[in-house]
Amino acid sequence: MKLSLGVILAIYLTGLQLIAVISVVLISYVSSENVLIDHTRSLLSDTGHNVIDHSKDFLEPARSAAELAKRLTETDIVDRENADSLEKLLFQQLKTTSQFSGMFYGDESGNFVYVMRSDDVAEYRTKVVRTFATGQEASFVWRDPDYNVVEREVDPLDVFDPRTRPWYRSAKESKDFIWTDPYIFFSSQKPGITAAVPVMEGDGTVSGVFGVDIEIEALSDFLAQLKIGQNGVAMILTRQGNVIAHPNSELIKVKNKEDTLEFVNITDINDEIVQAAFGELAQSGIASLGQEAQSEFEHDGYGYVSTVIPAYNQELPWAIAIYAPTEDFIGGIKANRIRNIWIAVFIALITGLIGLKVADRINRPVRDFASLAVLLSSGEVSTSDDIPETYRELKQASQTLLNEVVQRKAFEREYGVTFDLASRGMAQISPNTGRFIRTNAHFNDILGFTAKEMQGMKFSDILHPDDTDTYISFQYAVHKNVEYNQERRYLRKDGTIAWLRVNAILIRDEDGKPLHTVATIDDVTSLKLSEEKINELSRELSHFSRINMMGQMATGLAHELNQPLTAITQNADAALLTVSQSANPDPELIEILEEMEEQAHRGADIIRALRGFIRKEKGDSGAYDLNELIEQTLCLVHPEASVRGINILFKAQALPNAIGSRVQVAQVIVNLLRNAIEAIVVAELPTKRIEVRAEANNGMIKVAVEDTGCGVDPDIDLFTQFETSKQDGMGLGLAFSRSIIEANGGKLWCEPETEHSTKFCFTLPVLSMKQLENDNA
Amino acid sequence: MPDEQNLTVFVIDDDDDIRSSLSRALGIRGYLVETFSSARQFLDEYDKNKLGCVILDYGMPDMNGLELQQHMKQQAIDLPIIFITGHGGIPESVRAIKEGAVDFLEKPFRQKTLVNCIETAFGTLLEVQQLQQSYRQLQNNFDRLTNREKEVAQFIVLNPSSTSSKDIGRHLEISPRTVDHHRARVLEKMGMTSVTELVDQCVKAGLFL
Repeated sequence: MKLSLGVILAIYLTGLQLIAVISVVLISYVSSENVLIDHTRSLLSDTGHNVIDHSKDFLEPARSAAELAKRLTETDIVDRENADSLEKLLFQQLKTTSQFSGMFYGDESGNFVYVMRSDDVAEYRTKVVRTFATGQEASFVWRDPDYNVVEREVDPLDVFDPRTRPWYRSAKESKDFIWTDPYIFFSSQKPGITAAVPVMEGDGTVSGVFGVDIEIEALSDFLAQLKIGQNGVAMILTRQGNVIAHPNSELIKVKNKEDTLEFVNITDINDEIVQAAFGELAQSGIASLGQEAQSEFEHDGYGYVSTVIPAYNQELPWAIAIYAPTEDFIGGIKANRIRNIWIAVFIALITGLIGLKVADRINRPVRDFASLAVLLSSGEVSTSDDIPETYRELKQASQTLLNEVVQRKAFEREYGVTFDLASRGMAQISPNTGRFIRTNAHFNDILGFTAKEMQGMKFSDILHPDDTDTYISFQYAVHKNVEYNQERRYLRKDGTIAWLRVNAILIRDEDGKPLHTVATIDDVTSLKLSEEKINELSRELSHFSRINMMGQMATGLAHELNQPLTAITQNADAALLTVSQSANPDPELIEILEEMEEQAHRGADIIRALRGFIRKEKGDSGAYDLNELIEQTLCLVHPEASVRGINILFKAQALPNAIGSRVQVAQVIVNLLRNAIEAIVVAELPTKRIEVRAEANNGMIKVAVEDTGCGVDPDIDLFTQFETSKQDGMGLGLAFSRSIIEANGGKLWCEPETEHSTKFCFTLPVLSMKQLENDNA
Repeated sequence: MPDEQNLTVFVIDDDDDIRSSLSRALGIRGYLVETFSSARQFLDEYDKNKLGCVILDYGMPDMNGLELQQHMKQQAIDLPIIFITGHGGIPESVRAIKEGAVDFLEKPFRQKTLVNCIETAFGTLLEVQQLQQSYRQLQNNFDRLTNREKEVAQFIVLNPSSTSSKDIGRHLEISPRTVDHHRARVLEKMGMTSVTELVDQCVKAGLFL
């Protein structure tokens, strides 16, 4: 289906801008997310390194303090044998670095000096273990920040031996600075780590080890302060996967079976997100991790990014693990994105509406043009009306259309007028259903229907029931592209029969598809009826002439015979009287004469009986139109005349009705015409003409038949029976005709001849009131 | 005053044989016969002083029997007509009888029938002649009466039931005596023996009617 220009424009305009808006939104959606996720990753990575740096910075003082003490003792600036100087050294260093919880030195002999922060009695406490040959002595000294002694105490039961401690053994074994594994400080119950460095002799042996305890709970505080998005978490892990720093420092300490506190492993931590983020990593071994590893995961419907940065070296023996929900970073963007989508939808709607409006505006002239075209074609708008303003291109088109319409209208008007005013009946008929699409007034009048009634009717509705094949032959002819032309009977509205000559052809369009059948219809009813009348007259005449020629012969013979019979009877009677009056009458002679008279009468009786029998055939008597009768008889005689090249002229003029037997009169006219034809044939003159005239005069109608024939033989008495000039004639025609005319109350005679013309005339009575009265009497 | 002896039978027929045979047959029977071969000839040659009857052929050329009957009426030829015809139809015969013909005979007819018709015609003719004669006589006598006598005669004839002198006198406003005198004069002048005869003769002749 072809869409209208308006719809296409609207779809294109709104569709295009919708596609543009959606593309921009989509692209920014995808790209911004990727950028943000990348950004998040680098953010995590940065945070990790930040944590690493921070941790290094946090631990560095412990290392440098231990190294410093080692160098001071190795260069003998501080006497390592002297516990007091060692205590002073350790105290000074502890006091200046707040994150140190304690510093100590143990030697190969088992001596041990330990300065630590204290929160009871005084701010610092020193523990000194001295070994002797017999045993060892442990003493405690509490000092204020100014190194003044606050309290002293000796514990003889203390059996602490530094050489058994892990930090001592590790440092002595590696002969280099080491970090111990983090652990929970026994005294403060806080997580911490110990840095240890061995003090070497000149021969390369280890004489003792300096250690620095540093609490790392501060790292958890630091981690807690870090801003990694809103919900990002950074942790510090050991090689074994133990969590040693976490923003929530409570989570990392758990009690073991011996009821001592230790670090929780990352696989056991009470944090599902952490487990989801790093559990897998922890199982495959964090120690094996060579470099920074980043991953993304989902938990509880949220997306997260995570990164693990291993940093196992002398400076820092840990790994940093960080995760953060992506929502924190792209949440705003997402919200923004939804807003953007709404804005885009809004813009799309606005621009869509504008697009529709623009489309409508662009389309309006086209639409106006289209409706103009429709109105023009349906004739609701005159072609003389102004054409609405439109595009230059359409202007030309509409002008062309207008011209077409004007031309078509003119044609249609012409056709319509021809159709409606045609003197013949016309109809347009649907080729398939036979329905009348259009009929003209003349056709309607023929059948007696109104135009409205004809609208709903079909061709088959007007068929005469006896002519059922009419429609079939009609349809057959028009669909075979043959012109249909037949005279058939049809029914009028009042049920009477109409003879119609229907002439029809099928009109097809350019593709050969049938459009409609055009039929022209002529009412030939009167023609048909007069044909029938003529045929009837012909039949009657032949019957009449057969019977009456015989009758006429009989009548003629009767008349002719009656005369001599009368003479015989009179003579016989005279003879009889003469004989009987004689002196001696002969009885035999009297009998002969009487018999003779009787036989003459018997003959007369036979003739009378014959005449009485014939007289019955007279034809119906009544009033009739003589003009019509003359025309009909002319039709009958016409073939005989035309074949001999004879022209018969008759001009009817108004006549009153004649009275009598029309068949008899017809017979007379035929007789006169045939005589005329034969006379013309005999004469063989160049002019071959018969003229028939009829005129009313003095209550009679006079009919004259004049021919250009051979004339009348003066020796022949025309009207005497059995006298004829014709070779094969009987001499009855004119006598018969005369007797017929006289029987009808008229006269027949031959008018005196003029040159080259013979004229027979007869008169007939006109129907009058007197005639009617007489007939009734 | 005509009688049977000087009456003539006029035969009009276009057929020569008919004319001659009829003329002969009727002549033998003692009739005076004159023949004509056409209607026209009869009209031209007929002598009005001769009385009798006409035997007329109905079907003749030019002027047929009926037409001749009309002509005779117009010309006051007051002869009874017997039509004879070769093909006489009922309508023609009816018309002819209506117009006063004695009879309409179809050819051939018996001589006796024709003679009867002739005799009837002659009877009729003589009767008519006699009536005409007595009418003329009465009229002549009546003309000789005085005016008063004419009045009395007329009253008597028109009112035959009241012929007393009183009635007549009252009607004419004259005395009965005078009436008696006038009546005697009327009877004398009219040649009547009684009032009854006067009334009878006048009614027969159609006088005052």
